[in-house]
Amino acid sequence: MNKTLEFKNPSLIDRIKGMLSVDFYRLFHTPLFYIFLGIAAIIPALVSMGMSTTDPTTGQITGSSLENIWIMVAVEKPLYVVNNIAEYANMNMVFIFGGIMVSIFIGHDYKSGYVKQLFTTHAKKQDYMISKSLTCAFAMASMCLTYLLGTIVSGIVNQISFSVNVGSLIIAILGKMVMSLGWASLYTFLNIIFRRYFGVSIASSFFFGTGILIIGVGAIIDSLSLNSSILNLFLYGSSVNACLSSNILTLLTCIGVSLLWAIIYNVVGTYILNRSDVY
Amino acid sequence: MMNAIEIRNLCKNFGDKQVISSLNMNVPVGSIYGFIGENGSGKSTTEKMICGLIPLTSGTIKLFGKDYLDIDIHSKMSCLIESPGCFPSLSVWNNLMLHATNLNLVNKEDEVREVLKLVRMEGAAGNKYKNCSLGMKQRIGIALALLGNPELLVLDEPINGLDVDGMRIMREILVDLASKGKTILISSHILGELEKIATHYGIIRHGKMIKEITAEEFEKECRTFIGLKTKDLNLTKEILKNKYDRVDQDEEEYIRIYDNVTPEEVVQYLYQKNIIINEIKVDRVGLEEYYIDLMKEGGKY
Repeated sequence: MNKTLEFKNPSLIDRIKGMLSVDFYRLFHTPLFYIFLGIAAIIPALVSMGMSTTDPTTGQITGSSLENIWIMVAVEKPLYVVNNIAEYANMNMVFIFGGIMVSIFIGHDYKSGYVKQLFTTHAKKQDYMISKSLTCAFAMASMCLTYLLGTIVSGIVNQISFSVNVGSLIIAILGKMVMSLGWASLYTFLNIIFRRYFGVSIASSFFFGTGILIIGVGAIIDSLSLNSSILNLFLYGSSVNACLSSNILTLLTCIGVSLLWAIIYNVVGTYILNRSDVY
Repeated sequence: MMNAIEIRNLCKNFGDKQVISSLNMNVPVGSIYGFIGENGSGKSTTEKMICGLIPLTSGTIKLFGKDYLDIDIHSKMSCLIESPGCFPSLSVWNNLMLHATNLNLVNKEDEVREVLKLVRMEGAAGNKYKNCSLGMKQRIGIALALLGNPELLVLDEPINGLDVDGMRIMREILVDLASKGKTILISSHILGELEKIATHYGIIRHGKMIKEITAEEFEKECRTFIGLKTKDLNLTKEILKNKYDRVDQDEEEYIRIYDNVTPEEVVQYLYQKNIIINEIKVDRVGLEEYYIDLMKEGGKY
């Protein structure tokens, strides 16, 4: 039987376009995304409730220990070592919950056999990394927005001050949203490594999301009285750096750091995927 | 004839354990290639390597003459390995549409409709995947594999767990595809079903291809035999062995004569020897028996 076969070689753009369409379809058509958007919106409400002060005699809420609601979004100045939950509880928490969301999202790919099906088509491993990173970055950036919405509502309900340098606030929010790409790439990478162990994927995402490594290093740098701005080269450091005293340089740093880590994690993730079995 | 799959000296190690050892395989274009082997013999591993899901340790795999990792070759092949890659909470239609999107198909809806028709699943398009029966899921897997009109299909145990009707439908689908010139590599333990459709066979054992044979060659090798039962099987066997070269006894206690001889001749011969035949039949060796014998050391085939 003689048959002339015509082979198609779709371009990177075409391949990514197809894969992104599928990932965004899944994102918007499954409850997971909306649940995490809701979680992001509830976090500021819970934190502000936790910080409310009560009259010990009547037990009624009399105010809040939060002087300014925007502290819920970002710290006033870069603070790599936190001393209490109030210093820690800001928009960076979105990246912790975002990590869990990414683990579940990618975990479904493996559990359902979708990855196996995908890699028997013209899809390349790098396409998978890029598509997941972009989709999850979008999801986390959206979570930042619902977090912001939750913060505003909490501020209004608890009558907390809204005074702020609007420019710095916008830069801080944009900076954190931009950092979503780097975080999403990190979580995609972690889920590639631990693809066979769903629980470990979630635990590792949570561990890195808390920024505990950078907090630890920050403590060492502090005790040695060294310049802590080197920590801005890392995802958590740069996310902290996007604070209420941010300027345009902060945003540019966030963009650069996020892109740099996204590229690193995508390249290394692709390398690992190419050399490992698909289950 | 060009080979759709050509494997040379394929080896695969998992740690220190070698699971595939110098495997060679030739799957001609347009064939239905039955890939047979016991559990753990390396069938699925070989198929996964062909599909690019597992990296090779050494050796070469060529698909339609091109390296198996060429991205463009994947536009002409499709696989169903273990289970279809579908999202349980999405409908059959949406799962197929997503796969069509991944494949960058132009007329997605038309193509999805067509493959659903091919696998007789038009009526179940709106069902959630998780609510489908095993037979339906296997057919959805075939439908997924058919999207994009591939020339090569690699199917890992697609008829396992299917009921009689499911198997019949699956068989009809595969024969229909083969009639359109598609090449199908299919592994299965259900040899009776495989025998009905395969044009070529490859038998693998401990990661090595121990035999590749066409259905025609198989027919010749597994020629018919005369099976008979008498009151004294041992005596009859001794008498028959004096006249015929290939005589043995099967598990159902039939004495088998593989020589080129007619039943009438056998009856006449035994009659002369005062042996009364209780039962006599003409039969042929099936794939299952052929395979079992091949697995034995020094089998007669």
